Amino acid sequence: MYRYDEFDQKLVDERVEQFRGQVARRLSGELTEDQFKPLRLMNGLYLQLHAYMLRVAIPYGTLSSRQLRMLAHIARKYDKGYGHFTTRQNIQYNWPKLADIPDVLADLAMVEMHAIQTSGNCIRNVTSDHFAGASADEVDDPRVWSEIIRQWSTFHPEFSFLPRKFKIAVTAAPKDRAAIKVHDIGIVIRRDASSTLGFDVYVGGGQGRTPFVGHLIGESIAAGDLLAYLEATMRVYNQYGRRDNLYKSRIKILVHQIGADEMRRQVGVEFAEIKSHGALALPQAEIDRIQAYFAAPAFEKLSDETALLASRKKQSKAFAAWHDTNVAKHKVAGYAIATISLKPIGGVPGDASADQMDIVADLAERLSFDEIRVSHEQNLVLAHVRQRDLFDVWQKLDEAGLATANYGLISDIIACPGLDYCDLANARSINVAQAVSKRFADLDRQRNIGELKLKISGCINACGHHHVGHIGVLGVDKKGVEYYQITLGGSGDETASIGDIIGPAFAENEVADAVETLVDTYLGLRQQGERFLDTYRRLGIQPFREKLYAAH
Amino acid sequence: MPQVLTANRLSDGEVVYLAADGAWVEDLDAASTLVTKADGEAALATGAEAEQNQQVVQAYLFDVVDALAPLRPIKKREIIRAAGPTVRTDLGKQARV
Repeated sequence: MYRYDEFDQKLVDERVEQFRGQVARRLSGELTEDQFKPLRLMNGLYLQLHAYMLRVAIPYGTLSSRQLRMLAHIARKYDKGYGHFTTRQNIQYNWPKLADIPDVLADLAMVEMHAIQTSGNCIRNVTSDHFAGASADEVDDPRVWSEIIRQWSTFHPEFSFLPRKFKIAVTAAPKDRAAIKVHDIGIVIRRDASSTLGFDVYVGGGQGRTPFVGHLIGESIAAGDLLAYLEATMRVYNQYGRRDNLYKSRIKILVHQIGADEMRRQVGVEFAEIKSHGALALPQAEIDRIQAYFAAPAFEKLSDETALLASRKKQSKAFAAWHDTNVAKHKVAGYAIATISLKPIGGVPGDASADQMDIVADLAERLSFDEIRVSHEQNLVLAHVRQRDLFDVWQKLDEAGLATANYGLISDIIACPGLDYCDLANARSINVAQAVSKRFADLDRQRNIGELKLKISGCINACGHHHVGHIGVLGVDKKGVEYYQITLGGSGDETASIGDIIGPAFAENEVADAVETLVDTYLGLRQQGERFLDTYRRLGIQPFREKLYAAH
Repeated sequence: MPQVLTANRLSDGEVVYLAADGAWVEDLDAASTLVTKADGEAALATGAEAEQNQQVVQAYLFDVVDALAPLRPIKKREIIRAAGPTVRTDLGKQARV
């Protein structure tokens, strides 16, 4: 894992003290709310429906046990004993007091964390593959490059007042687990025949009011040129991105309006200009320095524990179900990647109690090289577990209510906080997630349905990624009543697509029925081996629409 | 339609309502019901003053069903602010009753 150097620590410590002074001046009246609001937002502090909300950055979703324990401590001491993991791999606290925030930030700084650039029109927390460093299909550890981008983009003076917020995601695997094509910039790291790294840069993806899949703008950019290319892209956006209309201010609108070819040309011109000065060439020594932080842990030489696992699975049907669903193949023999579902049946997607965080931290420290990942799908991951320890891990998780065997299934729902917490929401989303989750509570039924990504947002800003849900649900307000619009066929993976609206919206108590009708329609139409998304792509929306509205 | 003036308390973000005696109260039932346009304008002026002197932020009026107790907001947003998250009834004002 990356560790702060003296400069990082000084920067973060100084920011805590600056904000302490700003909070004091706000409380004493020296600063008005208008003056204070941009300052608090720069430190991740929002005002929501019931209270303030603090969003803490978890760079590329990687945490140490010490850091996760601190997040648990903050939940207990300053909040109400829980936190909410978000689709941006961050954690949000829903109830902190303004006067306590400087102390919270000081506690975070003690474990090399902060809430800087988790809000505002700047480059936000860089997100990445939650299986980084563990998955067999990656060509490099994407966190190395995410960290380099994090350092470049932190307090970057030229990009601290962009037309709008800016989100960058990085993957180094052909299987995109980081939804890179629906980010302002999505980076795919590849390796050519001579094993040289190249960076494909997708620009102009995003969800929200006007969703788009990103365009391939830069192809096979050399490692040493990565920052120069990103800077060139940011410059074009900073110059031409609209500042007169909030709804048209993201880079996706610029790319859509001028076209991918023109965007590529303009970025190319800037890139050549930056390169001609040579200032942003990334030195190999610096790449090596960052890479060293992400060196593989000291894996033992083991063999896959096929016989042991088979016997454990025979011993416990529940373990077998969890293993088959939540455990993924590791790149090293004898190890496994275990996903900890934060989606108990009928629970709040992404929420974890302080006690649960401590239990996960203990497991990580003891059995997964002291590392935890937060996924954009609002789950936690133990990335390096010895296969022989999986049963032990599962038992501890089960005792803590963390062993729901539903990774990638219909109850593994992404949901934003919605109108239960969020000041921007038009409708609740957690309640709908709970209703659908309870409807499909039977895990055997879920496994029979297979991979189905259901994503719910409480407003068009799409924090719940509904546009890229195989089934997406968007909450809307119709004359004071919550309604839910359903989309089908979205996907956030390497085959990214934006879902199609199926028809008129449903009342709150109709959504679970509607989802069940769609699932039953799929089950009746699917061919051997087809996921919901595959059947939808083969047949289109019509058969689903007919069934849904015939039944309605 | 009758209205109530609400805001969030500066120091901790708590949802508060303006009461008849000019105090800011946490319980909607203790809020002052504003019936006339002049009542609403006067309350907004009080809210603006409370923003100036660091008591509250974002003061605004919202509609309630009628002037009789218990007060019930029209919009879901205000119903949720007055109670707490519907998915965590152990939290927020509803948990204190």
